[in-house]
Amino acid sequence: MENESFSQSIDKLKFQVKSFQEGFSLLTQSSDLQELGRNFHHLLRGNFLVTDFCLFHKNGEGWQRVYGSTFDEADVTTWLKPSDQFVFESVSGQKTRLAITLPLIDQSHFGLLIGQKLDRTDFAETDTIALHIFLQQLDNAYQFFISQKKEKQFSFDLNHRVVQLNSLIDTGIELSKLNHNSTLFETSVERVVSITNASFGVLQILEKGHLLREYSIPEGVPGEFILKSDNLIQSEIEFQSKTYLFTLADKESRAGAVPFEATDELLLGAFARQVLTALENEAHHEESIEIEALKRELSVAADIQKKIIPTKLPEISGYELAGLNIPSKEVGGDYYDCFPLGDGRFALIMADVAGKGVPAALLVSTLNASLSAYMSMNMPLKDLAGKLNSIIYKASPADKFITCLIAVLEPETGKLAFVNAGHNPGFVLRADGSMEKIDAGGIPLGMLNMGLPFDSAEIVIQPGEKLLLYTDGIPEAMNDVEEEYTDEKFEQFFQNHSHPSPEKFISDLLEDVKLYTGSAPQSDDITVLYLGRN
Amino acid sequence: MIPEFKLSSSVNSRTLVMATSGYINNIGGQKILEEYTKHQDAVDFVILNLADSHIVNSIGISFVIEMIEKLGKKSGKLIFTNLDPTIDKTFTIMGLYHFAKKAATVDEAMALTV
Repeated sequence: MENESFSQSIDKLKFQVKSFQEGFSLLTQSSDLQELGRNFHHLLRGNFLVTDFCLFHKNGEGWQRVYGSTFDEADVTTWLKPSDQFVFESVSGQKTRLAITLPLIDQSHFGLLIGQKLDRTDFAETDTIALHIFLQQLDNAYQFFISQKKEKQFSFDLNHRVVQLNSLIDTGIELSKLNHNSTLFETSVERVVSITNASFGVLQILEKGHLLREYSIPEGVPGEFILKSDNLIQSEIEFQSKTYLFTLADKESRAGAVPFEATDELLLGAFARQVLTALENEAHHEESIEIEALKRELSVAADIQKKIIPTKLPEISGYELAGLNIPSKEVGGDYYDCFPLGDGRFALIMADVAGKGVPAALLVSTLNASLSAYMSMNMPLKDLAGKLNSIIYKASPADKFITCLIAVLEPETGKLAFVNAGHNPGFVLRADGSMEKIDAGGIPLGMLNMGLPFDSAEIVIQPGEKLLLYTDGIPEAMNDVEEEYTDEKFEQFFQNHSHPSPEKFISDLLEDVKLYTGSAPQSDDITVLYLGRN
Repeated sequence: MIPEFKLSSSVNSRTLVMATSGYINNIGGQKILEEYTKHQDAVDFVILNLADSHIVNSIGISFVIEMIEKLGKKSGKLIFTNLDPTIDKTFTIMGLYHFAKKAATVDEAMALTV
């Protein structure tokens, strides 16, 4: 009999040892507390024939039911003591036989209520020892569960950081590709709302405090509503006198709203700066397109002007002739020409358009075409000037006009008829060394169209005498301290310099001007036309 | 004032098909998990059609992960469809495709449940 009892005890012990081994494995497989309670109940049922069991958890105030429904709130109040110590109490409740409080690693507690065994016997001492071992396993399984949960959370947080960084990089790349501001703004707000776990986000574009536009996420939520939140962060940038105000509101967590973190503010600032960079890049891009277009226009205008300015002057028997035009910019506003009129006479033109660039080139082109059409008609120069004035007035904006000196040379006699429409007077160097200015004329062409008369005059260029027509680029050439070359210096040079040939004179004149201006850039177009009678 | 997160669902051959519209955040994620919980005993597969959801945050994702874990316990599977490229990349980085699948359309996803 004793042997049989001993044998039963050994069998029971063997079974429990096996249960201890399997128990820990079973408990650590639990993915949540409810499953942990259910698995622990399996162990109790298998080892002690216990069916009445409840597991409670206390983290802070009050016991929360985790598993089981056998025991009610009254049992909990009666038997589970609020203690930070391990409590293992045998009690004599209506259903309750054991009440256990198990302190856990995270300062929380398990509360266990266990009913009587199915065979209604008391828990023997060996049962109590085995139960302590299972409780130790429950504690270990909870530690394992907490550790796994932390590991999962760590992995999740790490991945979330990678998502944040990736989103920042991707958004930067995408923003740099976009051409439409609205897409740029929507994309940036959507991304920053997503990676900061904000409930709402809005980008408001303001000018002098007035709201111009806004982009919100979720779409359709008014910015006014978002700004009312007491949980928000903001970042703003300034670009072309507009303010771009980014606002994020209501950071989310599984437990409800939480305050934004420092990282969220850094991310919001980074997104705002990316938008600023995208706006700047887009503006630079548009600017470079405009500059490119302007360059193309200038290039076309320069080509037109090159065709208008003579590359080779005609030969006039008994005369030496040379001319030069050096524009200060790609397209200048000066124009000169000399061409035969078909009846033995020659036209000499010197003109200067107010302004430079494409508009000036267009006016020069108009003047050139008009001169070609009207000069051959052999009309008096003062009438020609009136006609040209009318044409240029109609063809030019209010601030554009042309100063122009038109002369007609009769080579055989040396007669030179001229009209000066507001241009610098031409110089004639007489054989006796005296200098004469030719200045009869009127207002610049295109300045007024009120029928104001033009005067014309006539002189004779004798053998050995020289005529010099020019634009103000020579007398007004400036040095480093913005002092002009002056009319006086120019006249003296013309009067006193030797005149070996027209080309050499022009070359020497330019050298003298260059010597004066030094390293200062050329301030205006330089144009001269030199005629000497042999 | 606040645009509503919308969710529609149907159950067919032990597959729950959910279609969402709007921001998958705390509210959206909860609604997805609640819908699954309502049908969890009747389904082994969940198809989540995100055609009308273009923004998701990590709180929304945590609910989706919880649903994946619950499905995993019964050897079930979650299949995402009609993914916005940004959401697809986020799910990839978060490691969701180790435990869930993706398909271009709901029809293609249905074929994976057979």
